Amino acid sequence: MFSNGPGRFLGVVNMAAARRNKRVAATQPGFLKLNASLDHNELNTRRKRVNKNKKKNWNKHSDIQDVEEFLDDVRLQERSTGGLISEKPDDSLFFMDTGEHVKNIQKGGTEKKGRRSRPLRIDLILQHDSLVPPPKDVLAHQQPNAKKLRRISQKAEQLAAKGVLPRRQKLLLRRKVAAGSKTKEQLPANNHPERPFYDLWEEPSEVTADPWFLEQTKKKLVKRPDKLNQKPSALPAVEIIAPGGSYNPEFFSHQALLLQAHEVEVKRQKEEQRVERQLAVPREDKATEETVFQEQVEGLLEEEEEEELEKEGEEPAEDKPASQSASREKKTERQRKREKAEKEKEQRKRVEQALTGRRQQLFQLRSIGVELKKREQRTSERQAKRHARQEAQKSLPRRLGRLKFQAPDLEVQLSDEVPGSLRLLRPEGSVLKDRFKSLQKRNMIEPRERAKFKRKHKLKYVEKRAFKAIT
Amino acid sequence: MGGLQKKKYERGSAANYITRNKARKKLQLSLADFRRLCILKGIYPHEPKHKKVVNKGSTAPRTFYLLKDIRFLLHEPIVGKFREYKVFVRKLRKAYGKAEWTNVQRLRENKPGYKLDHIIKERYPTFIDALRDIDDSLSMCFLFSTFARTGKCHVQTIQLCRRLSVEWMNYIITSRSLRKVFLSIKGIYYQAEVLGQPITWLVPYQFAHNHPTDVDYRVMATFTEFYTTLLGFVNFRLYQSLNLLYPPKLDIKAEAELKAEFEEDYAMDSESYLEKLAALSASLARVVPTAEEEEAQLDQFPAEGEDAEVLEAREKLQKEQDAQKKLFEGLKFFLNREVPREPMAFVLRCFGAQVSWDKSLCIGGTYDVTDQSITHQIVDRPNTDQQYINRYYVQPQWVFDSVNGKLLLPVVDYFPGVVLPPHLSPFVEEKDGDYVPPEKLKLMALQRGERPEREEEEEDDEEEEEDDEDDDEEEGEEEEEMDDEELADEKNLKAMERQRSQGKALSVKVTPGKAKVENRMRTEQEEKAEEKRLAIMMMKKKEKYLYDKIMFGKKRKVREANKLAAKRKAHEDATKADKKKKKAKKQ
Repeated sequence: MFSNGPGRFLGVVNMAAARRNKRVAATQPGFLKLNASLDHNELNTRRKRVNKNKKKNWNKHSDIQDVEEFLDDVRLQERSTGGLISEKPDDSLFFMDTGEHVKNIQKGGTEKKGRRSRPLRIDLILQHDSLVPPPKDVLAHQQPNAKKLRRISQKAEQLAAKGVLPRRQKLLLRRKVAAGSKTKEQLPANNHPERPFYDLWEEPSEVTADPWFLEQTKKKLVKRPDKLNQKPSALPAVEIIAPGGSYNPEFFSHQALLLQAHEVEVKRQKEEQRVERQLAVPREDKATEETVFQEQVEGLLEEEEEEELEKEGEEPAEDKPASQSASREKKTERQRKREKAEKEKEQRKRVEQALTGRRQQLFQLRSIGVELKKREQRTSERQAKRHARQEAQKSLPRRLGRLKFQAPDLEVQLSDEVPGSLRLLRPEGSVLKDRFKSLQKRNMIEPRERAKFKRKHKLKYVEKRAFKAIT
Repeated sequence: MGGLQKKKYERGSAANYITRNKARKKLQLSLADFRRLCILKGIYPHEPKHKKVVNKGSTAPRTFYLLKDIRFLLHEPIVGKFREYKVFVRKLRKAYGKAEWTNVQRLRENKPGYKLDHIIKERYPTFIDALRDIDDSLSMCFLFSTFARTGKCHVQTIQLCRRLSVEWMNYIITSRSLRKVFLSIKGIYYQAEVLGQPITWLVPYQFAHNHPTDVDYRVMATFTEFYTTLLGFVNFRLYQSLNLLYPPKLDIKAEAELKAEFEEDYAMDSESYLEKLAALSASLARVVPTAEEEEAQLDQFPAEGEDAEVLEAREKLQKEQDAQKKLFEGLKFFLNREVPREPMAFVLRCFGAQVSWDKSLCIGGTYDVTDQSITHQIVDRPNTDQQYINRYYVQPQWVFDSVNGKLLLPVVDYFPGVVLPPHLSPFVEEKDGDYVPPEKLKLMALQRGERPEREEEEEDDEEEEEDDEDDDEEEGEEEEEMDDEELADEKNLKAMERQRSQGKALSVKVTPGKAKVENRMRTEQEEKAEEKRLAIMMMKKKEKYLYDKIMFGKKRKVREANKLAAKRKAHEDATKADKKKKKAKKQ
């Protein structure tokens, strides 16, 4: 901006040198000011005296307004005329006034046309109106590292001509191949309707690798424990409904099924009644006329008899400690000896008795044999029973969680619901539920109940304003 | 006294079990993922014998797993996949939240997935193992394939289930291995014999769903995920065993026949092939096209003694089965539109019949109602407007009862508008001495090749004509057996027995006398009875006591059965009397 004319040495604006610069500029020959009055004003004011030995004061009290004004002026001139006016040739500043013939020509029908062709105001505002050309980009012509790059490109060209690819490109190409194979590998989802199947149980090709290596590299899966192949229940997968569940049942089998359903219902009802009975208020707790009367009379009658009874109860239980202390007295030597002899005698007697008893058993051989047999029979019976119970339990639903298995309702059609033909049949129950319950019954999943929806915050009832307005 | 103090709950059953929550933490999985993993791997909770010990003194009800099982789970590669999926969901949610759509797309493209193939191989090391456990997966697949696409489960799962169930049905048709059908109020039970394994499955009726709320759909979906994979592999193997193409393709001949004119109206191009397969009316293409399957002859081995008997019995059974397989061969059926199409078509085709239906009902109908070669038309309405003379009109139950009875039952009882005989369960096997419903007795008699009894003749005059027609057909079959004297004798005896069991007095009749022929069998039997009597006499006291007890039990059973029969008789009499009264009133 300051590359030509008197502004050149103002390129570095220093506060200290501001005043001198201004003076220099003002003394420049042929410098014209656009705003002359400002300079006048400045001369009239008196200079202030301040200490100049502090840098702070230099900044604070040095007056640079004139420099700024000057610079503003320079910029304004450059913006509006494209350079300093003082340097302009006269032709560009003045023209010869030769009359108004141009205006006369324009006064015809051009007014409308002009309005139409006039640019929009918004465009005018946005227009670049400064005459200072934008600074040139130095780097547009220069290229950093040009020489090096040129050399590299030349070498690349040479290699390309030979057919050698750079490393990066090679890597990219390789990656593309890998990516392509990966997409191919992605098989359709498990439940895709057109998914392919193959012979899963084909004889596998001989594996020669070390089994330990295969296991460690997860090429071979861990063997499944044999116990897992046992079924959790002995029940069949599809339990067939009783013959009474036929769509057109035989009379007696239908009756049998109805009876079964009836029994279930009766049981359920009994259970309900039991709960009701337990919840009901017991008869003795209910108020009768008598109890009401007693309550009213309470405290009015005398209560002497009860107090007497209480006093009698406290007396006994005081002799015992005395007798205990008497027995604790020391035994004499004689007593000890006698006791010892007695003990020995008793023991001998017992041994003898056992001996004779054993001898006697010889004669009881038959009865002992019978007893043994009985015992054996009893154990075998018990074993059989236990075995039967275990067998039966294999087909029973186990307790696998918080909830017990609850058998589904029996599917039954009442006698008047039995359809005459297949067309009129109304299916009973749901196969989905049947399957679900069957899975539970076979101990494959634990019985659960649906999670209840819990509201985090209480509901608040508010009457809408619109509703209020109506009522 | 010396040594370290033993700590409680560090050995024994307490150390063998682990609670669910601990197991979950050990595997670092959420509860849902843990549950899923357990279902897929076939690891089920356990009820310990001594709960209080296992629960470390607490009696709170908990779910326990065996510690060894959980340790085994630690090696499962799917666990890693579950974690990956968790991270994927988290990233996806984040990308959504930030509205970074390119990121979302990229994540979706790289969605982690897992395979269950290795788990199936691990749980079912051989094909037969898998086949033995296929009941569950069949029931589940058939169930899910009937679901509406309402968002209760993934649409793709429904489609896959449909595909697999159609494949299974086509296999059963081609191998002709269906044995029993039972229409219950819940659904239809089928039993087939595949590679010697009895396989039972339950198919719900169409449009019978009200989605129950107390069923955990997530658990069911997990089971289905496993079962569909299993069924897919089993199907593949079964198709291979029959030399069929997999995925199934229609026969070229059949495909040409099925080329309908307005196919686009019926289904989209992508679906029409599956629909055609699902129509079950055409046979499947084989890898090596063969004209017809020739019957494999059973190898004959010379055998002696007991082996010979067993072999004979087996041969007889085989023959019976072969006969059953060809039950409907050569018959041409037409299904009216009120008849449930899919089960009917499936059952009929399983026994070699040709089936068709109205063009507007479903794709795949090969001939029209007007076809003159149709032998049976299945009707489920009391009256039909247009009737052709050269075909039978029967109710659908005829087909199912015939299949269960292993012979073509007389059509008289199943004409439209007639009160049907009860549909008996083929899954019930009565032991001797149990109460057998009279309908079953009748069926058994028919199976033995006897003439059906005529009790109703006196009462129902209208039915007589129909019965006569029926007679004409059956005479051919019966002639062969009638000449056999002894057999007839035996039959008479049995008839008497039956009548007695029904509490009916024998009608007194005088028949022309016959020279008593020395009956070898009779004498043999008598001898046997004598031997038995003597043996009973020779029994020890204790054995005798047991024997008496057993006999008493048997007699009691017979007595009860007789009682039931008498009751039934009374019931029937009462209904008959009612009918008569009504008739009298009408007249």
